[in-house]
Amino acid sequence: MMSATYRTIPVRELSEEALTQLSHDMKLSLSTEDMLVVQQIFREMDREPTDVELEVIAQTWSEHCKHRIFAATVQHSSNGVTEEIHSMYKTYIQRPSKEIMARKPGFVLSCFVDNAGFIRLDDKYSVCLKAETHNHPSAIEPYAGANTGLGGVIRDILGAGKGAKPIANLDVFCFGAPDTPPELVEGHNIIHPLGIMRGVVHGVRDYGNRMGIPTTSGAIQFDPAYIYNPLVFCGTAGVIPQSDIAKEMKPGLSVVVIGGRTGKDGLHGATFSSAAMGEASAEEDQQAVQIGNPIEEKKTLDVILEARERGLIEFVTDCGAGGFSSAAGEMLSETGGNLYLERAPLKEEGLQSWQIFLSESQERMVMAVKPENVPELQRLADTFQTEMTVLGESNDSGVLRVWHSGELVCELDNSKLHDAPTKHLTSTFTSSPARTGLELDDSHLTDDLKDIFADFAVVSREPIIREYDHEVQGNTVLKPLAGASADAPQDASVIDIDGSEKLMSLALAILPEWGKTDPYAMGTGTVDETVRQLVISGTNPDKIALLDNFCMGNPESPVELGRLVECAKGIRAAALAYGAPYVSGKDSFYNYFETEHGPVNIPVTFLCSGFGVVDDAEHVCGSSLRRSNSVLFLVGHTEDELGGSVYARRHGITDAKVPQTDCSANFATYKQYYERALTKGLVLAAHDLSEGGLAVAAAEMAFSGKGGVAIDLDALPTQHGWKNNVTPCFVESTGRFLVEVDEDMAQEFAAAMEGCPCARVGHATTDGQLTLTAGGKTVLQASIADLKHIWKHGLTPYY
Amino acid sequence: MPHALLLKYPGTNCDVETERALCAAGFSTQVQPIATATPAHVKKAQLVVFSGGFSYGDYVMSGRLAQLETERFLGDALQKHHADGGFLFGICNGFQILTKLGILPHASLIWNKSERFECMWDRLVKVSSTCPFTQYLPQEFELPSAHAEGRLVCEPGDAQKYLDNGCVALQYADNHNGSELRIAGLQDPSGRAMGLMPHPERFLRPRHHYDPDWSDDPDWGWGYYFFKGAFDALK
Repeated sequence: MMSATYRTIPVRELSEEALTQLSHDMKLSLSTEDMLVVQQIFREMDREPTDVELEVIAQTWSEHCKHRIFAATVQHSSNGVTEEIHSMYKTYIQRPSKEIMARKPGFVLSCFVDNAGFIRLDDKYSVCLKAETHNHPSAIEPYAGANTGLGGVIRDILGAGKGAKPIANLDVFCFGAPDTPPELVEGHNIIHPLGIMRGVVHGVRDYGNRMGIPTTSGAIQFDPAYIYNPLVFCGTAGVIPQSDIAKEMKPGLSVVVIGGRTGKDGLHGATFSSAAMGEASAEEDQQAVQIGNPIEEKKTLDVILEARERGLIEFVTDCGAGGFSSAAGEMLSETGGNLYLERAPLKEEGLQSWQIFLSESQERMVMAVKPENVPELQRLADTFQTEMTVLGESNDSGVLRVWHSGELVCELDNSKLHDAPTKHLTSTFTSSPARTGLELDDSHLTDDLKDIFADFAVVSREPIIREYDHEVQGNTVLKPLAGASADAPQDASVIDIDGSEKLMSLALAILPEWGKTDPYAMGTGTVDETVRQLVISGTNPDKIALLDNFCMGNPESPVELGRLVECAKGIRAAALAYGAPYVSGKDSFYNYFETEHGPVNIPVTFLCSGFGVVDDAEHVCGSSLRRSNSVLFLVGHTEDELGGSVYARRHGITDAKVPQTDCSANFATYKQYYERALTKGLVLAAHDLSEGGLAVAAAEMAFSGKGGVAIDLDALPTQHGWKNNVTPCFVESTGRFLVEVDEDMAQEFAAAMEGCPCARVGHATTDGQLTLTAGGKTVLQASIADLKHIWKHGLTPYY
Repeated sequence: MPHALLLKYPGTNCDVETERALCAAGFSTQVQPIATATPAHVKKAQLVVFSGGFSYGDYVMSGRLAQLETERFLGDALQKHHADGGFLFGICNGFQILTKLGILPHASLIWNKSERFECMWDRLVKVSSTCPFTQYLPQEFELPSAHAEGRLVCEPGDAQKYLDNGCVALQYADNHNGSELRIAGLQDPSGRAMGLMPHPERFLRPRHHYDPDWSDDPDWGWGYYFFKGAFDALK
């Protein structure tokens, strides 16, 4: 006789303590309060739950799936003024986004309901972007963690609409510095940042390259606080005909799984990632990290795209966190239906019901198709040599019933499950000092610049970028490394879209250093940088959408949470000013680590990824100098606000004012620049000023090898000025970019920018030098070749 | 109109852009997954193409499993196609497959000398003057490359022999992957079969060049001319 594949677990008569113990023993990660609600649900149903049902509830209510912190009620105190926030998500993200969408009808075609948000590309096509984190798995097993992180977000896109085609990947990492002395890494089983970096990069490389999706955008941040909790963000962009965005479940459809088999790998992934890392994590939670198989996923991709083109797909979604339970829950909770677990192809025999239903084994997609189309789909699966199985069917019962070898193992009313108890949290924020007018030594600015160019925040990412295929699909028009020498940095990437005259652009920004003192300014500044990079690379400023990805330490620490709240306020204000809605987002909490000396929280980290529409290939504009006889303009104000800059960090300055962003004024400037200069053909190249400030940006432009650059610091537009020359060289004021203009067009360009903070500040030269002057004197001069050497080889010893 | 057959394996991933390039040059093109490919598909085609990617993951020697599967599904149809005057073209992983199939001169493509995947543009030098694929290309030109296993190695003495007898179609100017005698592309003695590591299909238009000021050709990138050369030789 077969042994039972499920158990009934009595909860109705348990005491509070016993419920808490049960949650702990089963690794459900449910609080006592949650468990009491669970108990109530089953008392009302007048029966005891099965282990499958408890696991489903734990998964559904996990932070990973339910975002209960972003939905929590927060008592927030900001400099002594208190307020109650009912859901940060609704207040700071969804509501402003809906406002913007109402202002721009027809731009956002779908969001908040599917795997990713879609925007209109042209009359026929739509593009989408999604970014996820895979932090905890990458800390334990960097290669597999990053590998499956990317694999998972690619499936998000394959499951967006009726199956979008993935066309670009982005990856953003936050690590400890690769030269961290090993003795500074506390705790057992902590992988040194160098090992994390190499493992993560190889993981992304091996999945993205094998999938044939170009990795076109990325960033890396280094901070000691990320040693214990590295952050790994993976994103994928997709394209789909607009007519294939809407999908709807109906009764009478066959529910089909395609791709990889189901195994014990990836159990409890969703609940695991919702808890803090401890020293026991590595051993205990190894089974929560899955193994990736990109070729399996590539075959699945081939089937889905072909099936969608043939009109075979009614509904499709990925098997992500929660595995079949969340995929089937998403598909069958409205209509109802039956699933038969014994039909699922397994990696090994002897799995319990809950293991099959909850397993997060990779490379699986679930589809709903009309029964008469099953044979054709089967032929497609055979053609592309992948496995396909009919798992069950939808009906009109309104209830999802899960069967295993004839036994009913799970029968839950989904409407009840989606009301997870609201969390209540408190947060507090007190402004830090924001000093200006610092006494700084500006007598060796050239050395300061060389020092900055060797900083990990600035050095070239070339060794990593070259490990990613960024040109597969043959559509990468603006590449991550370009310019006349093919190795100079660019601000955004731009992708041709097959079948369209329009192009898609991608850019991102992440400024965790700023949030340590002024999280609101981090929010506005990060959005500003993203929008700015997109516009100067050729994106129509009215056709930009954003993604918000937050990571932080312990949300139960009021001070930590206070920073998150302030940052969220900043991104709300910025979105409204730039008219750029958040169409998708994700958050990751509990990125902290308990050491002997107390918890190490990561800085509140906000990644802003943006994507938009480039209306004409002629508008695409790179960041590299193209002439040696051209003129340079600087757009935007330079102010005394060194806080958060690379210069400040290298000089131990922690109390300086962080750059403040006037989003509305900046956006007016970007629009004018786009409408009157960029799209009128007046611009040769443009580069945004970010980490390292003007001196770094000017040198980076010249890394194309076309010429040198001379800039007069006295000409920089400013409202309040500065005390010494450190500021104009290295401050990271937002809203600024350098523009290269042909001498013959200079007057026309100046006229086009009339009314904006914009000045002719210098010119390209043939001397191969970066020369900055002030008061008629040279204050900084360095050979571009020397600077490029420092910059280009900063990472090579470590990678 | 010349017809091109592009064989697709699990893990093949440059088929869309290669089909795009074939169509731009004038070919009617069919992308055919290997599991349903038959000798009849080959018979219909004047050109059989193997595009880039990671067939079967390249977890064992690159191209090896694709070779075995090709032989399983197509028998000697490709060899017959070749003997009957048909063309074959392999790009990157396709080059690796064609090498394993024995249609190109005997050689192997192993890990780059850097032992890492490298995505970068290569300067290439045209060597063979009898290759229809390269007939319209200048003496020196650029193409993007992206591979981990692109280092061409041969039995002792073979590389020099290939150079002497006209089987070397292209050499690298810089040779970042460490290939013997800088060999970037091989052809058979007839020139009807050719394989190379760089990706011509990725440089179809001038805007696909990394330098916005690239203007060596007003309408097309250099990659286009590989497909155009084959088309004109077949039409």
